[in-house]
Amino acid sequence: MAKKTSVGPITNMDLITRIKDNLPVVVVSIFSIALFILIGINGGAPQLFNVIVTGGMWALLATGLALVFGVMNIPHFAHGESFMVGAYVAYFVFTPVNKTFLASGSKFLLYLGPFIAIIAAGLAGCVLGVIIEKIVFAPLRHRTKEGWIMNAFLLTVGLSFILTNGTTLALGPNFRGIPRYFDVPSIEVMGAFIAVDRIVAAAIALVTIGILWFFLRRTKTGRAIRAVSQDETGAQLVGINLDYIQTLTFSLATAMAAISGASLLFMFQAYPTVGLTPLYFSWYVVMLVGLGNIAGAIVGGFIVALLQSGTQLFIGLSWQSVVPTVVMILVLIMAPSGIFGSEVKGIQEQ
Amino acid sequence: MLELKNLDSGYDFLQVLWQVSFTVEKGEFVALIGPNGAGKSTTLRTITGLIKPMGGDILFNGESITNKSPHLISRMGISYVSEALNLFTDMSVQENLMMGAYAVKERETQLETLDYIFELFPRLKERNKQLAGTMSGGERKMLAIARGMMSNPTMMLVDEPSLGLQPNLTYDVFSALLELHKKGVTILLVEQNVNATLDITDRAYILEQGKIVMSGPSREMKANEHVQNAYMGI
Repeated sequence: MAKKTSVGPITNMDLITRIKDNLPVVVVSIFSIALFILIGINGGAPQLFNVIVTGGMWALLATGLALVFGVMNIPHFAHGESFMVGAYVAYFVFTPVNKTFLASGSKFLLYLGPFIAIIAAGLAGCVLGVIIEKIVFAPLRHRTKEGWIMNAFLLTVGLSFILTNGTTLALGPNFRGIPRYFDVPSIEVMGAFIAVDRIVAAAIALVTIGILWFFLRRTKTGRAIRAVSQDETGAQLVGINLDYIQTLTFSLATAMAAISGASLLFMFQAYPTVGLTPLYFSWYVVMLVGLGNIAGAIVGGFIVALLQSGTQLFIGLSWQSVVPTVVMILVLIMAPSGIFGSEVKGIQEQ
Repeated sequence: MLELKNLDSGYDFLQVLWQVSFTVEKGEFVALIGPNGAGKSTTLRTITGLIKPMGGDILFNGESITNKSPHLISRMGISYVSEALNLFTDMSVQENLMMGAYAVKERETQLETLDYIFELFPRLKERNKQLAGTMSGGERKMLAIARGMMSNPTMMLVDEPSLGLQPNLTYDVFSALLELHKKGVTILLVEQNVNATLDITDRAYILEQGKIVMSGPSREMKANEHVQNAYMGI
C-alpha cells in the first residue's frame, strides 16, 4: 500500500504523509482494533472466538469471490450455491462414515470422520468448479468479450436458480443437519467453554487461507494466477495458458466455498437456500474492501465479523445484517472503490 | 524465419490489414514503418495470436502459427513487447522478470538470463524490489523489453519502444536492441522515429493504410524520396 519505498529511516513527515495517503485504511484499522477490544471486554472470550470463526469463514468465501472477480471479471452470485453443495456433500459423506466408524469403536476413526467429510466437500467443489467453468463460462468467453461483466453476472444468477431449485427437486426442501461433528465436551479457553467444532472450523478457515496465500505468493502457478489478474494480455505474452488458469481459479474458489459450507455444517445445516446468507455477507466483504483484492478480502472478512459481533452485543441480534450493510454503504459513499481500493484489470480493459 | 502470406486482419467488422506479405530472415533486424493507424501494431498483434487473422497465413520456422493461442506462440520463441507494455503492475521488477521466464523450465537458465539482463540494464538491478507500477515511463519500457528477453526468444517483436521517451532514454533502448541483435536474436521493430530506426536496422518495410507499399535495405530507404518526404520531414 505504501506508494514509495523510502531509503532512509522513516521520518515524522513521512509518517504523516503515509497516514494521509492511506486514510481509509488507518481509520478502519483503528476502528476495528477498538471494536475488538470493546467486544473482548463486554463479551469475553466466547465472543472473540465467535469473531474468529465467522471472520475466518467470511474471509474464505470472500477470497473466492475476489479471486474469481480479479482473474475472470465474474461478479459471482452463485457462490452461495457452492457453499450449499459443500454442506450437502459433507452431510451425505459424514452421516454414513460416522455410523461405520461408531460401529468400529475406534476413537481415532471418529475424529477422522469430519475431516474426511470436509475434504470430500472440497474435492466435490473442485470438480463442480471445473464443470461450471467449462460448460458455462468458457464458451461465452470464447464467443465474445463484449459486455462480459453483465453477461457473466446474469449467468451466475441463472446458475444460482438452477442449482437451488435443482437441489430442491432432487433432495426436497427439508433441512438435513448434524448436531455436531465431534462428540466431545467443550474445551475451556480463557475461562469460557468453546465447542470443539468451532475451534476446528476456525482452524480450517485459517489454514486454508494460509495455504492459499502461500500458493499465490510462492508457487509458479499461483504467480501466474496473480499475473492474469494484473494483466491478462501480458500473462498470455509470457506464455501463460489463460484457459487453464481461469478454470483453475474458478475451481479453487468453488472448493473454498464448499469447504466453508462443510465445516460450518453443524451451524448452518444443509438445505437448498442455505447459501444466501453466506453469499450476502461475502459480498459485503468484497464491496467493503474493493473488488478483486485478495489480501483485502481476508482482512475484510474479519472486519465484517467484528461488526456483526459488535452489533449483536451492543445493539441487538436482529440488527446483525443491518449494521454491516449501513457501514458498507457509508464506506462506498466515501471511498467508491472500497477501503483498499484496487484496480481490477483483465477482460474489461480490452 | 517469419513469413506472412497475404494476411488479412482487423477487429470485428473493421478490416485493417489487406493482403500483407513480408518475410524476416533469421538473424535480421527489420523495421516496419508507417503512419499512425496504418496497422503496424495490428500486424504484430496478429502474429502473436492476440488477434485472429481473417485470412492468409503466418509461418514461423516453416510451421503455420495462424490459429494458435498466444501462449503457445510465445512458447515457440516469439516474444512481443507491446506498446501498452502489459507489465504486472503489482509485482516487483524481479517478479516481473521471472514471470517473463514462465515457460522456461530450468531454474538455472532463468537465473543466468536474469544475471545477463541485470548486466544489460543495471537500472533494473538497482530497483529489483520496486513495484513495476510505481516506475517511470522509461524504466517501464526497459522492464518490458527485459521481460520479453527473459524467455530467451529467437525472435522479438518490439512495438514503439521510443514512444514517450526522452532522447537519451531512446538511445539506451535502441542500444539495448542492437546488443540483443548482436547476440543473434531476430528483431522486428515497429517505430515512429524513422530516422534512428533506419540507422540501426538491416531492412525496412513500409506499411500504409494496411498495405505494404515499399521495402528494401534500410540504407536505400533512407535515401528514398517518398520516405524522406513522408516520414523524415526533409
